[in-house]
Amino acid sequence: MVSLVLAGVGGQGIITVANIVGKAALIEGKNALMTELHGMAQRGGKIVVEVRIGDYKSAIIPARSADIMLAFEELEGARNLSKLKESGVILLNRRMIHPVSLTMKIQDYPERIIAEALSKYKTINVEADQIAMNLGNRRVANTAMVGATFSTGLLNLREESLITAIKESLPEKHWDINTKAFEQGKILPAFETAKVA
Amino acid sequence: MEYDLLLGSEGKIEFLLGNEAVVRGLYEAGVSVAAAYPGTPSSEIGDVLYKLSDRIGIKFEFSTNEKVALEVASAASAGGLRSFVFMKHVGLNVAMDSFVSLSGAGVKGGMVVFSADDPSMHSSQNEQDNRFLGKFARTIVIEPSSPQELKDYIVHAFDISEEVGHPVLIRSVTRISHVRAPVRLGEVKKKNEWKYKKSASLVLLPENAYKAQMSIVNRLEKVRSSKYNAILNSVYGDSSTLIITSGAAYNYIDEALQMLNVKARILKIGLSFPLDQEMILGEVEKAERVIFVEEGGPFLEEQVLSLCAIRSINKKFYGKINGSISTSYEMDVDRVAGFLSEIYGMPFQTKTQNLNLPERAPVLCPGCPHRATYYVAKLAMKQRGIQNAIVPTDIGCYSLGYYEPYQLGDYCFSMGSSIGSSSGFTMEAKERVVSFIGDSTFFHAGIPGLINAYHNDHNFVLVIMDNYVTAMTGGQPTPETTPPFKRVDIESVVRGIGIKNVYSMDPYDLKNSLDTFKKALDSNELAVIISKRECALEVDRKRAPSEAKVFQINQDKCNLCYNCVKNFACAAFYVDEGRVYIDPELCDGCSVCSEPLVCPFNAIEVKP
Repeated sequence: MVSLVLAGVGGQGIITVANIVGKAALIEGKNALMTELHGMAQRGGKIVVEVRIGDYKSAIIPARSADIMLAFEELEGARNLSKLKESGVILLNRRMIHPVSLTMKIQDYPERIIAEALSKYKTINVEADQIAMNLGNRRVANTAMVGATFSTGLLNLREESLITAIKESLPEKHWDINTKAFEQGKILPAFETAKVA
Repeated sequence: MEYDLLLGSEGKIEFLLGNEAVVRGLYEAGVSVAAAYPGTPSSEIGDVLYKLSDRIGIKFEFSTNEKVALEVASAASAGGLRSFVFMKHVGLNVAMDSFVSLSGAGVKGGMVVFSADDPSMHSSQNEQDNRFLGKFARTIVIEPSSPQELKDYIVHAFDISEEVGHPVLIRSVTRISHVRAPVRLGEVKKKNEWKYKKSASLVLLPENAYKAQMSIVNRLEKVRSSKYNAILNSVYGDSSTLIITSGAAYNYIDEALQMLNVKARILKIGLSFPLDQEMILGEVEKAERVIFVEEGGPFLEEQVLSLCAIRSINKKFYGKINGSISTSYEMDVDRVAGFLSEIYGMPFQTKTQNLNLPERAPVLCPGCPHRATYYVAKLAMKQRGIQNAIVPTDIGCYSLGYYEPYQLGDYCFSMGSSIGSSSGFTMEAKERVVSFIGDSTFFHAGIPGLINAYHNDHNFVLVIMDNYVTAMTGGQPTPETTPPFKRVDIESVVRGIGIKNVYSMDPYDLKNSLDTFKKALDSNELAVIISKRECALEVDRKRAPSEAKVFQINQDKCNLCYNCVKNFACAAFYVDEGRVYIDPELCDGCSVCSEPLVCPFNAIEVKP
């Protein structure tokens, strides 16, 4: 039984990530549920996706009970912290997308408030966008996040299942670059994985 | 190929979105004809059907609005075929005229009307509970709880509909249609043969309509005593507390009871109108207290309580009517546990925390032509000294013009309402009226309003924001889309009405657009501007990433006037320590911000 919250901004490929994790669970014969909210904006709006693996009926995660938060964007990660349990782990993609409401008023991104909010949890930085950029396609940042999530050991899913799910979710021409992104996203060495688990 | 997984053989299990499971259900049920107008949270059904229809033998079309779609489907059903029409909840209001009468006419081939309701209004203007509209129209109402049930109940719904000769309304909600879960595929049935027979019951003249009223009663009576009650309703658990529930609300109850460490007997209703009275009253009789947990209004609760009143069954009843459970917003485990804790007298605290974080309001995409139109509209009004214009707007992406800095949108509540309300405002308003509507919405419900405005000589400026697509629901075709469809030209429609002041403009061309706007504002009779430019997301979908330019701010030239961020306000701009930058990952390369009308210092240039 594991629950994940994925938070970010429209256009970051978050739904694809949740879909991959859910499919991988299904490959292992586990029940998986996923629910998504993405409001009115087609791009640039806030997005929350919840994934639960195990014998659940509700796809919506109760407050303070998610095991992992995948923050694709820092502010949106902070916004959804109330879903995460106290011992939960945050995988933080170092990406800041400035809300128009701040920019319009010549205000900076609220880095300090976010850092303070996140500091109450075990937070692991993932350079997913950087990994994607180095691989030459910024769109694979999301698969790097799948690799990072896998490396925490909290998912309780096998690597082969996730790779198969990635292939089932994407056209064949993108398999190679996405499996590379997955591989490079595995940021946690074995000893740290053990500690987190 | 995309969506091949929906064509798998019986017994396969796939991870499906609720709306994808709907399409598989249609395939299994042997549906021949389907029609829709896109609306979230039902939109993906159309996206999938649009791509799969040939392969699964379903003739599918995006109709101009929900009423037309319902009529398309009902005619197929009159010819003995199984037919399906789907929409978001408010779409059923548009289809209501034909929907209510359809009950009287009845159906030959099975017919299912699918409504995706949106409790908590994640992408809607209200959270109406369409089960009440189903009961009002006296159609059969069926409520699934999960993607698996969406698929299975669709097949049952077609069987019931055809057996009884009556339409069925299936009510989904966001948290079923937009949930992904494992779905076990079932057997694919053969389709019906076309067999149209003329019948007086299909012509609702008063004489025939009079008879139809009794047919409705008889058909619903057949449902009440059918085998489908046992298939669609279920009961489990041992307790003197009975919880009657249905739909998405059901999903939260077991976990909420566990949290509180209490027990209940659960009666899950799938066939919610007409109700299986004897079974339900039997359960109520055995219980000491009864709690109703529903998504939406007190639909089951009102029906069960009136039955209890007639039978003089007196229990403790808790639900939306006595105020134990809120009548607003969608349910979840925490909310259900909160309500139940009061009833059971068990302590429960929802563990939320509030951080003071800046809001991220929904925004127009980088490159969106609507932003350019709004920028020019504001500038033109300013240059013409028009303050306090009344700005009716409509349903679509451009309703985001309501937000700062454009603040163009101060009256908006339903598809097409911008134009009708503009006529109303001009009756007495001293202010200039400038209204906005999108292309798809114009075709859906705008044309009668525009004919009214011209015929009754109302003087306002209407801007039709034409991006050639139904953008907000994910890019479905409009009556302008070709091929394979025939193209309807908006300007010809507008001119055909007789309107003389018609202007076409490309909003990316700010200078010409500004002149056009000023001309329209100067007009002393109805003026229509058609602002034409393809949706930026559609352009993105068609071009290679390498074709896109990215812009940057030349910091040496930037004078820090902040006009770009304060007034143009593209989502790709950001400010860091007082300086303005463009996020290269967000920039769409539209180049509009580099125009002198946005940046008078020519500081915005193509990034090498």
